[in-house]
Amino acid sequence: MTQLMSNTSYLQGLLATGPNSSTPGPDWLQARREEARQQWLRAGLPTNTDEQWRFTDLSLLAETSFSIRHSAAAMAADGRPAGSDGAELVLINGKFSVQASRLPPAPVRVACLDQASGAELATFENLLGAQARPAHHGLIALNTANFSDVVLVEVPGGVAVEQPLNLVVHSVGAEPFASYPRILLKVGDNSSVTVVFSFTGPDNLTYLTNSVLETYVGAGSRVELVKIQREGTSSLHIGSDYAHLDKDVRFQSLSLNQGGLLVRNNVTVTLAGPGSEATLNGLSMTAGRQHVDNHTMLDHARDHCASHELYKSLLAGRSSGTFTGKILVRPGSQKTDAKQTSKSVLLSGQASMNSQPQLEIYADDVKCTHGSTNGPLDEEQLFYLRARGLAYNQARAMLTVAFAADVLARVWQPALRGTLEDLVVAELHRLEREEF
Amino acid sequence: MPILEIKDLKAGIAGREILRGVNLTIAPGEVHAIMGPNGSGKSTLAQVLAGRDTYVVTGGEVRLNGRDLLELSPEERACEGLFLAFQYPVEIPGVSTSYFLKAALNAVRKYHGEPELDAMDFLKLMKQKMKLLDMDASFLSRAVNEGFSGGEKKRNEILQMAVLDPKLAILDETDSGLDIDALRIVAGGVNSLRGPDRGILLVTHYQRLLNYIVPDYVHVLRDGQIIKSGDKNLALELEARGYGWLEEPAAAH
Ligand SMILES: Nc1ncnc2c1ncn2[C@@H]1O[C@H](COP(=O)(O)OP(=O)(O)O)[C@@H](O)[C@H]1O
Ligand SMILES: [Mg+2]
Repeated sequence: MTQLMSNTSYLQGLLATGPNSSTPGPDWLQARREEARQQWLRAGLPTNTDEQWRFTDLSLLAETSFSIRHSAAAMAADGRPAGSDGAELVLINGKFSVQASRLPPAPVRVACLDQASGAELATFENLLGAQARPAHHGLIALNTANFSDVVLVEVPGGVAVEQPLNLVVHSVGAEPFASYPRILLKVGDNSSVTVVFSFTGPDNLTYLTNSVLETYVGAGSRVELVKIQREGTSSLHIGSDYAHLDKDVRFQSLSLNQGGLLVRNNVTVTLAGPGSEATLNGLSMTAGRQHVDNHTMLDHARDHCASHELYKSLLAGRSSGTFTGKILVRPGSQKTDAKQTSKSVLLSGQASMNSQPQLEIYADDVKCTHGSTNGPLDEEQLFYLRARGLAYNQARAMLTVAFAADVLARVWQPALRGTLEDLVVAELHRLEREEF
Repeated sequence: MPILEIKDLKAGIAGREILRGVNLTIAPGEVHAIMGPNGSGKSTLAQVLAGRDTYVVTGGEVRLNGRDLLELSPEERACEGLFLAFQYPVEIPGVSTSYFLKAALNAVRKYHGEPELDAMDFLKLMKQKMKLLDMDASFLSRAVNEGFSGGEKKRNEILQMAVLDPKLAILDETDSGLDIDALRIVAGGVNSLRGPDRGILLVTHYQRLLNYIVPDYVHVLRDGQIIKSGDKNLALELEARGYGWLEEPAAAH
């Protein structure tokens, strides 16, 4: 399969043929796309020999020929999380659908590269690909070569957005297809916002969502990003999320994974200004033959920054998971405080989990801690609950929900926290039912 | 009919016998104390009765109100009225005490075909029981045993016992780690549950607790067998003389 993954006609087959949109776009865009195409043809899909892709086998991706769907087909079944009635931006197969969306009130702005001009177009030119570089890995190159559109959400400086902004990314189709959502989020100085990204798609269909998000956070802002990955049961989901933080920023992300067959989440955060704090949380709930790979990279590029990571997984059936936490402390990034924790519960004897820290530290006045635990549910806790009259399954369900509780408790928005708790409880009961 | 009837109970782990033929009968209304040096098998007995599957029962018979206890799951034993106050109550982060207790109480009620208690009635019941044990309402919102002091954990066990209202209560070293004030409160809680229909089995290796909860019978467990039984004076004698003088197994029992 490794051979096929670097075979030229295979690689060309995944590239978009013909123009991606009604107009080929400005020169800079054409140049970037061409560079990405060349990079893709050179690099191809990452393979297991690449250290950063050791635990995730993309050969499933190489086995399928995906057509690219650009058209905003009719909306599929509603996949939005219950209780979200704020603004909602809908992308269908990577294309922004104005009809399906409820635009946020001013001063939050939403724009598409397709229709941008003037100063807006300059913003796209400045931000697009400034973090997500085609050279990082083949899937960034492929997304850059293939995206149908780019959506820009902009929160100007000095604005506190009260309601979470929802961004729903639907994949819609009946035959194997690929979509390449591409999103930019720009938050000015001293603002605050929560954005919820929901990914959905059809069950029992092999399709690929290869999504790239680039977030830019201005000085003194508070930004929370929640990703709810509920892709279809046979899908491949590759998400590459980047965030660039200026000084004194409070940034938090949550990656909630329950769907997809083969899932890789790349989260790359650059602490580019002093005094910033990044908290990366994850919760994966898998069954069957699902595989979820969470790959985080915290780039401590400046001094006096803190990062916290808490990634948790509940694995049932024959599912597997990987967590890799890379922390880079650059020279001069003194007083860095980085804490990384990965915890997993194996709900069945066939499930497996692999966690590994990757620390690269080039400063001396630094606090860096990491730890990971993997294992079945605690027998003593289980017995304690049963000794009080709770049935075996009820006791297990209570412990799995409890295991997830501290990750959800970190969510800033109280209403959103409640919604997520309900969603997780329902999902965990499903897992338990599947297991027994 | 006795509440608990243990006949020649043998149990152990991985080829090692820890209980080597235990006999014990508790009639309604009685309080029994099991004493014995560390490692004699007291906790093993308590855990085996509650259904802990780390231990394998290799012989004997146990009846709870006439029912074969050993064929029941831990949750069925609890629903049938057996309660074990653990020597080392486990911490369960992420589960609040009230959520847990309400689920437990309703599981037992459901087993007996009784309607579930709603939130209001449950809270009323909790307030009443917590007052008995001098516990603050904030207990309820804290995660089960998480960060509790030794005394708080023990009090929480007694609170659960008071709420679940068992027929047979087994208290494993409930006095250990308690200061004298906490001991008084816990003993008060246990004494308030004494009654003509209930059996209580106190497991302890100190006589101290028995000053506050006066037992009807005292048994000495050593190397997995009850080697002597008597009344509350036996505990005083053990306190004064230690366990050494009991070397000869008491064949009469
Ligand atoms: N889970 C276990 N694994 C190994 N040994 C055990 C276990 N439980 C009890 N034992 C052993 O059985 C004996 C009795 O232990 P225990 O019942 O805890 O005694 P007690 O409560 O009287 O102090 C001890 O020798 C102890 O080491
Ligand atoms: Mg003991």
